[in-house]
Amino acid sequence: MTQAALGEKTSSADAVTAQKPGFNRNYLPFAYPALAITAAVIVFPWLFTIYMSFYDWKIGQAREFVGFANFTKLATDARFIESIGHTLYFTALAVILPVIFGTIAALLFNERFPLRGLFRAIFILPMMATPVAVALVWTMMFHPQLGVLNYLLSLVGIPPQLWVYSPATVIPSLVAVEVWHWTPLVMLIVLGGLASVPVEPYESAKIDGASAWQMFRHITLPLIMPFILVAIVIRMIDALKAFDTIFVITSGGPGTASETINIYLYLQAFSFYNIGYASAVTIVFFILIIVLTLVLLYLRQKAKWT
Amino acid sequence: MEDGKKTVTRRMALKVGAGAAGVFAMPAIMKTATAQTGGFNWKKFAGQSIEVSLTLGPRADVLRRHEKEFTELTGIKVGSEAVPEQQHRQQVVIQFNSGSPQFDVLTVAWHVQKRLVGKSKWLADMKPLLADSALTAPDYDFPDFTAGGLRWATQGDGRMDTLPLNIDPWMIYWNKELFAAKGLAFPKTFEEVVMAAEKLTDKASGQYGWVSRGLKNANVPVWTSFMLGHDMDPVNPKTVALQTTTPEAIAAAEYYKKLNKDFAPPGTVGFNWNESQTSFSQGKIGMWLDGIGFAPPLEDPTKSKVVGKVGYAVMPQGPKSRNSATFGDGIGIPAASKKKEAAYLYCQWATSKLMCARLLQSGGGSPCRASSYTDKDTIAGLKLPREWLTCLQESTSIGRPGLPEIVPVTEFRDVFGVGLTNTIGGADAKTELTKATEAFTPVLQKSEAS
Amino acid sequence: MRKGAPLGARLKRAASNIGFGFAVFVIVSPAILVMLWMLSLSLKNEVDNLAFPPVFIPNPPTLANFLDVFEKNSFDLYFMNSLIVSGVSTLVAILVGVPAGYGIAKAQAHKIAVLTLIARITPGLSYLIPLYILFQWIGLTGTVWPIVITHLVLTVPIFIYVMIGFFESQPPDLEEAALIDGCTLWQAFRYVALPLARPGIVVGAILSIIFSWNNFIFGAVLGGRTTRTLPVAVFNMLTFEQLAWGPLAAAALLVTAPVLILTLFIQKEIVGGLTAGGVKGG
Repeated sequence: MTQAALGEKTSSADAVTAQKPGFNRNYLPFAYPALAITAAVIVFPWLFTIYMSFYDWKIGQAREFVGFANFTKLATDARFIESIGHTLYFTALAVILPVIFGTIAALLFNERFPLRGLFRAIFILPMMATPVAVALVWTMMFHPQLGVLNYLLSLVGIPPQLWVYSPATVIPSLVAVEVWHWTPLVMLIVLGGLASVPVEPYESAKIDGASAWQMFRHITLPLIMPFILVAIVIRMIDALKAFDTIFVITSGGPGTASETINIYLYLQAFSFYNIGYASAVTIVFFILIIVLTLVLLYLRQKAKWT
Repeated sequence: MEDGKKTVTRRMALKVGAGAAGVFAMPAIMKTATAQTGGFNWKKFAGQSIEVSLTLGPRADVLRRHEKEFTELTGIKVGSEAVPEQQHRQQVVIQFNSGSPQFDVLTVAWHVQKRLVGKSKWLADMKPLLADSALTAPDYDFPDFTAGGLRWATQGDGRMDTLPLNIDPWMIYWNKELFAAKGLAFPKTFEEVVMAAEKLTDKASGQYGWVSRGLKNANVPVWTSFMLGHDMDPVNPKTVALQTTTPEAIAAAEYYKKLNKDFAPPGTVGFNWNESQTSFSQGKIGMWLDGIGFAPPLEDPTKSKVVGKVGYAVMPQGPKSRNSATFGDGIGIPAASKKKEAAYLYCQWATSKLMCARLLQSGGGSPCRASSYTDKDTIAGLKLPREWLTCLQESTSIGRPGLPEIVPVTEFRDVFGVGLTNTIGGADAKTELTKATEAFTPVLQKSEAS
Repeated sequence: MRKGAPLGARLKRAASNIGFGFAVFVIVSPAILVMLWMLSLSLKNEVDNLAFPPVFIPNPPTLANFLDVFEKNSFDLYFMNSLIVSGVSTLVAILVGVPAGYGIAKAQAHKIAVLTLIARITPGLSYLIPLYILFQWIGLTGTVWPIVITHLVLTVPIFIYVMIGFFESQPPDLEEAALIDGCTLWQAFRYVALPLARPGIVVGAILSIIFSWNNFIFGAVLGGRTTRTLPVAVFNMLTFEQLAWGPLAAAALLVTAPVLILTLFIQKEIVGGLTAGGVKGG
């Protein structure tokens, strides 16, 4: 399904295209039902959100038009700005670590070895597990006095940690859960890339006497970089929006130490019932995700060209 | 819906006839719950089904445990559920705001929701229902309710939109064994509490002198407990002004910080009442400050290692006063409910002498009926030690609301709760309280203005 | 390794094999260990669960926790709700997503797929209040349908994504042949492309069911006492009385077991489907 195949067709199938003017347009109706549904379920909430963001509406009180006041308030809301910081810190870790481990895992699973299928099946289990359920198990594992993690640490002589019960260690602990949960997804994406890597460059490299590391660095890595970038984009979007895990384990705590933008959004909308303000948070949040995604996609385009 | 109403009317017509005959045939005063006197009949709305939304906790446990009896008594089917506190409060607001809540009965935490439900008039007024002798059981004995309970249940404008279900005074559970091992008597003042906590803390052996809630939002009552001992309320009841940066408030926060930071097990920043309860029940904690309704699992041999060793102490003397922070729950009916009568029967049953006695006996709370505390059979059936009961009675007598009676209580608890949690991590109490007060002042102003 | 290879080379090969095996072992352990711990917690009684140092092998193992879960919660009801929600939303996603993936792939109209990307980027919470108000206005609150409809936001984009990748990797010759023979576009799709699309549909369906099953927030806000889904039910158990770890772990296991078992049986197809999409670069 490459440019080459299309090229062949256009030359020999002029008769076909001549019979069907507007070749491209005829296929779009196939997508209409799906687009209609997606639009219906997305458009209305978005219109509502945009509309509400210009109002100050707290459930139980009257609605009041306030123009851009919500947005200017956000700009000076210390708690919101703090949540941006937490979100970026969490996301950076929750993207980099799974990408590194996932790539290593992909390299391993690209080789043939006995019981590969079984190990691979076990490896992708975390990705499929219900986030809420495993978050509860992790909460029990994190318990400072009774949790199994501190016990395992004590076996190697490391003192018990506070994990999610200390503002300093809460975000890394939550990242650990994210890494456990989503590394398999990165592995699958990169594995797909590895599968399409041609064999010839390696053979010529071996003839030239290259070491395994050199082959990886100069052949494999550039070839799978587009896939790693896809993984980074997907991970980034998911990590920025991470909710279930953080909500279940810490609810943004201790205090506000793990309060990300999404948790703050939940707080404003469902604990304080500031619907107008929460709508403004949604919009700013969305813009942030879009901007970061575009930056990464731009980098990906650059990688494709080189 | 419509059919149900018609059937009831027909049945009502039949029963009234039978009831009238019954009045002449039976003695006037019947103590059994199946009395059919003067038009009141427990089975009047038999066949209907109601949705009951409760907050997870000891009160809900008691109500759900005996739910089947209610159905037998009235023929009304009950679909009930007990939702964890924070979610319950959120759900309730969302549902009321949608205009058609999915439940017919709900428990209301007065200390959090009273102004909110009162202002928006979400609940049906109980007074007309109570006055209606066709709907109120003759042995309901309304005068039996304590003045305190009724005060909680009545709104500022005179509407009584809930029936009093429970008053929860705060007190200190203490481990008698650990105290005895160090030759300590139970402290009498706040300062002595700190000293005792220090003496009982031995980090090497994993023993701590104190545990209390550190989780934001849930932890505010711990702080206000200390504040009341300084004779200071978080919000001035008359002027509705925040008093959270007064020297008394800061002193109370300092007590909170010292006890939770230095003498409590690690991880309390994440503790709500249930984690604190588990901690205490494992036998390595000296004192636990919390509501009195959480006692039953401590005396349960399948769950607790401190059975028989628990002391129940009234809140000690503070520098300026001795008070027990009290909170309470009522049970009410949404004004939008289409089954108000059936729901009212449930509310009556839940606050009847029988159920109140059971609540007291199980140790799950303190009912708002004076008779519960004097009735010999009730006292004899108490599942907890007598000390618990005397602690309860004494605490109630020095009770004082532990949370301000404003609309945005949840936000208050969140904003100040975050500050308090931060102090456990070492932040300065005064700074945190100032920050929180600054953040909350506009919220309070706005809510009082509207 | 050829016979008669020098000993040094053979040892080196053995060492690198062991190293490889070790690496695989290390990378797979976290996944399996957490699952095993969940299993262990659920089979131990409360005394063992709160013991420290932790007890790993239940002694004796007990099913009491599972019985407790079923007794105290209407797990069968929640299971049915989850089944209905995931099943119906996946079904609808198949009906609209497969043709959509086909259409977008053939028309090379990836710009349209951006709409589904927006669906993915939008924070889930922002759907909830407007949709709740809408459903209440229509009169659907109290039923399971609001949750089903909201889940379409999850399932339809998944299908479109998987099917685009799938159809793009299919050679178009058979359909071209059908079109030349006079079929309409729809007929070419229905009778030629669709039967061949079964592997893609299977992958899409599995992923769609799994992600819908696992969703928490939609069911949490829109679900009522009788309409909530399993993840919401298990979350409500979190603050049940005290730290009841046994029943909590048992509930967690029950909620996630179906998707885990599904994954184990169909892991090859899942890997195939996701890597095929990955090849296309999303």
